[in-house]
Amino acid sequence: MKVNHWILKAVVALGAFLAGTSSASAEVQPEAVPLWGWLPDFPRDVSVDGWRIDWLIDVTMVFVVVLFVIMCVWMFWACFFHNEDHEADYDHGSSQHSVITALVISSVVFLIMDGTLLVNSIVDLDQAFWNFDLAENLEDENGREGKGDPRPECGAEGSPTDGTCAVRLEVNARQWAWQARYAGLDGEFNTPDDVEVLNDIVVPAGSPVIVQLAATDVIHAFYLPNLRAKMDAVPGMINRLWFRSKDDARGDFDLGCAQHCGTHHYKMKGKLTIVSQEDFSAWLGEASQTAARAFDINDVNNHWGWSWARGGNG
Amino acid sequence: MSEATHDSGAHGSDDVYQHLQAIHPDPESFIRRWIFSTDHKVIAKQFLWVGFGFLFFGGMLAMMIRWQWAFPGEEVPSILGGAFLADTGGVIGPATYNTIFTMHGLIMIFWAITPLMIGAFGNLCIPLMVGARDMAFPTLNMLSFWTFAVSAVLIIASFMVEMGSAAAGWTTYPPLSTNVGTPGYGQTLVVLAIFFTGSATIMGAVNYIATVMRLRAPGMGWMQMPLTVWGMWLTAVLNLLFVPVLAAGAVLLIMDRSFGTTFFIAGANGNGDPILFQHLFWIFGHPEVYILILPVWGFIGDLIPFFSRKPAYWYRGSVYAMILVSVLSAVVYGHHMFWTGMNPLLGQSFMLLTLVISVPAEMLFLNWLHTMWKGSIRLTVPMLFALGTIFVFGLGGLTGIFLGTISTDIYLHDTMFVVGHFHLTMAAASFLGTFGAIYFWFPKMFGKKMNVGLGKAHFWISVVTITLVFVGQMVAGYAGQQRRLWDPFQYTFLIHLADLNRWTSYFAFTLGVGQLLFVVNWFKSIFAGEKADENPWEIGTLDWTHAPSPPPHHNFDVIPRVYNGPHEFANPEVKRLLGRDWLGQAEPFPTDAAAGAEGGAAAAKASGDA
Repeated sequence: MKVNHWILKAVVALGAFLAGTSSASAEVQPEAVPLWGWLPDFPRDVSVDGWRIDWLIDVTMVFVVVLFVIMCVWMFWACFFHNEDHEADYDHGSSQHSVITALVISSVVFLIMDGTLLVNSIVDLDQAFWNFDLAENLEDENGREGKGDPRPECGAEGSPTDGTCAVRLEVNARQWAWQARYAGLDGEFNTPDDVEVLNDIVVPAGSPVIVQLAATDVIHAFYLPNLRAKMDAVPGMINRLWFRSKDDARGDFDLGCAQHCGTHHYKMKGKLTIVSQEDFSAWLGEASQTAARAFDINDVNNHWGWSWARGGNG
Repeated sequence: MSEATHDSGAHGSDDVYQHLQAIHPDPESFIRRWIFSTDHKVIAKQFLWVGFGFLFFGGMLAMMIRWQWAFPGEEVPSILGGAFLADTGGVIGPATYNTIFTMHGLIMIFWAITPLMIGAFGNLCIPLMVGARDMAFPTLNMLSFWTFAVSAVLIIASFMVEMGSAAAGWTTYPPLSTNVGTPGYGQTLVVLAIFFTGSATIMGAVNYIATVMRLRAPGMGWMQMPLTVWGMWLTAVLNLLFVPVLAAGAVLLIMDRSFGTTFFIAGANGNGDPILFQHLFWIFGHPEVYILILPVWGFIGDLIPFFSRKPAYWYRGSVYAMILVSVLSAVVYGHHMFWTGMNPLLGQSFMLLTLVISVPAEMLFLNWLHTMWKGSIRLTVPMLFALGTIFVFGLGGLTGIFLGTISTDIYLHDTMFVVGHFHLTMAAASFLGTFGAIYFWFPKMFGKKMNVGLGKAHFWISVVTITLVFVGQMVAGYAGQQRRLWDPFQYTFLIHLADLNRWTSYFAFTLGVGQLLFVVNWFKSIFAGEKADENPWEIGTLDWTHAPSPPPHHNFDVIPRVYNGPHEFANPEVKRLLGRDWLGQAEPFPTDAAAGAEGGAAAAKASGDA
């Protein structure tokens, strides 16, 4: 979905204005700033777009705290000063003045607080989390506006694996493990050179990673806290999500299950390793050749992949 | 305001009301009087006692969950229920843990809060507050309780079968809740129990709706009803509309479990659709969270003006807001399912509709705060609980907007933030609001007063610890901790939250122990409480002005005629003529020879404004 209707644009502009910042034109990607030093913070954000979520949560938290404090002061003030020594007003609050006041306050709070959330959320989904065109087309500067087609060499099949194109990943969740599959050197899924891993996903830093998700038995949820990514894996469906780590991100991060999936739900833990594009390319090349050599047509448990699904659910 | 309200003089037409609701003799036998009773007050107490039993049960399960998060895998002290874990030497294993949190949720929602709040106080308050001699269908009312009792037996039985009770989470998502994930009879019995308790709820809802619509005392228009009655009525309407959807889901699930169908099973084991169940569940499930809060909005909508000694501020606004929330509750359920692969456009529609609920919610808060402002506030125990409810519901309501918004929900979905949020609304607010109602109507139920000191101590310990527990959970979720983890600290990014989880558990244990204050107060007051007169709170609603404490079998010797709204306080003219700050709903405006005409005009204005 693109923001191209003038009404939508106006709402976006209003929301950005009300929030006192313009996320629509944000070129900088600020780190999430903890609001209260003594509270546990978000997990370290190693994604390019995670700041959008952290920022929106923190800004909304400010609104929420302000409103809550106003409510408490109002309530406590009344309890202390309008106590039994105070004579009660005979007021039904149903005069036109009272009604209009209540409606105006409710509407203003709604427009500012909920408006900020709504507008920023739509912008963020449009510019990042649900913009799969952008994921396919990240190297193209016009990609941010979602204009150009994906680079031909980054097409659906046969993408280069040097880290310049989006990495495609098929993930199948089952009790209680994450099976993941890379297309391998030929860029096509369900071929002998597919690289299969278990609970151990490797991605290149800075490249978009598009994940298509399925499940064998019950519903699971693919959760990368440090990349602010989450999606249900549902039996019988293929869901998708994408994320992109920062260029300088390296290291191991937790991959968790966020949906109750049975006795060992708590142990359904995987590892996401972020490496440089060169290292990724080298690793995938070698793993793909090894996979092709070791391919066994009778090993049916290994052949769970599917042809990369186009479109599909956001 | 209808003209009928003001046709003063000899109310010939009122005879019809007395006649249509004849006074039946009190039941003689013990069984008809206390067990298979059709008296709404007895049925209310039956729901109350069973609800207390399950509240204790569900509370113990909560303590065990908190123990597990504070000290994963360590032996549970017997006092927290360790005695029931003899098989494992007192340790909660992962499978048992799943049963514990699943049954904690289901028991608290369907067998504790629902019977306490809706079963007990819906039954007690509706006929007394609208001026009826009983429910519209007393026998159906009895059947409702006994159907509920069957479901309670099924729940208890589910713990005794091989492999234990349900373990698929309170949401019972298939395929986990089918034989693919949870074989054994326990889960089947629990789903069956949900079906039975749903049937009981539907019977109750029919009764509540009919009673409010047909049995209001003469002169009581919709806009003269106490807000408690409004809350109960809207809850009943939502129950009647949406519980059948849950029941349909439960039947299909039982067929998948026991008769080999695959409505909800997909993947390696079938070609059904697991998401279909989520639609059925949440079409019911989202209204359900309002079902569990509307009665509380009603309680505090009444308690705040009662103890601020001031008319409810913009009564109609509160009524409209509650109606609007009830309507919206039916069209927002999709925000529970943003990450199931929902169509983006549909998701954004659900986000917008969800956020719109802020508007009526803000109207309610403003009305409560405005009612207190410039009042003459008496901090009685029920009032304290009403204020505590506003406090925790403020927190719970405001934190909901993070979850109704898609992009922030990416991160917060299925984390402890969700758990903290919905506990603040469905548990803390419902729990404190219901306790407010218990302290408020106790004199009417038992003819005794409750101890004020114990009540205040119970309030402070409850409101402080319950806030800390659920805010602690929200902080854990803010830091990324998923729900329902047997041992959260398996994850590297959660290890630093061990202290937070432990502190949250200490607050939870304090909350649990603090409830002893209530238990002591409850029994002490029933057996040795100071006698309460008919209207100890000096309130103008019919339950307090026209029925003794406790009321007789037929409630009202003569069904009263209603002239005023439920919150007629602080009228200077009433003060001058009667020397008190309240006017009963069934009390014609007082006149004296000098101020007769003026007083009549003021009365007309007062009830017109209400």
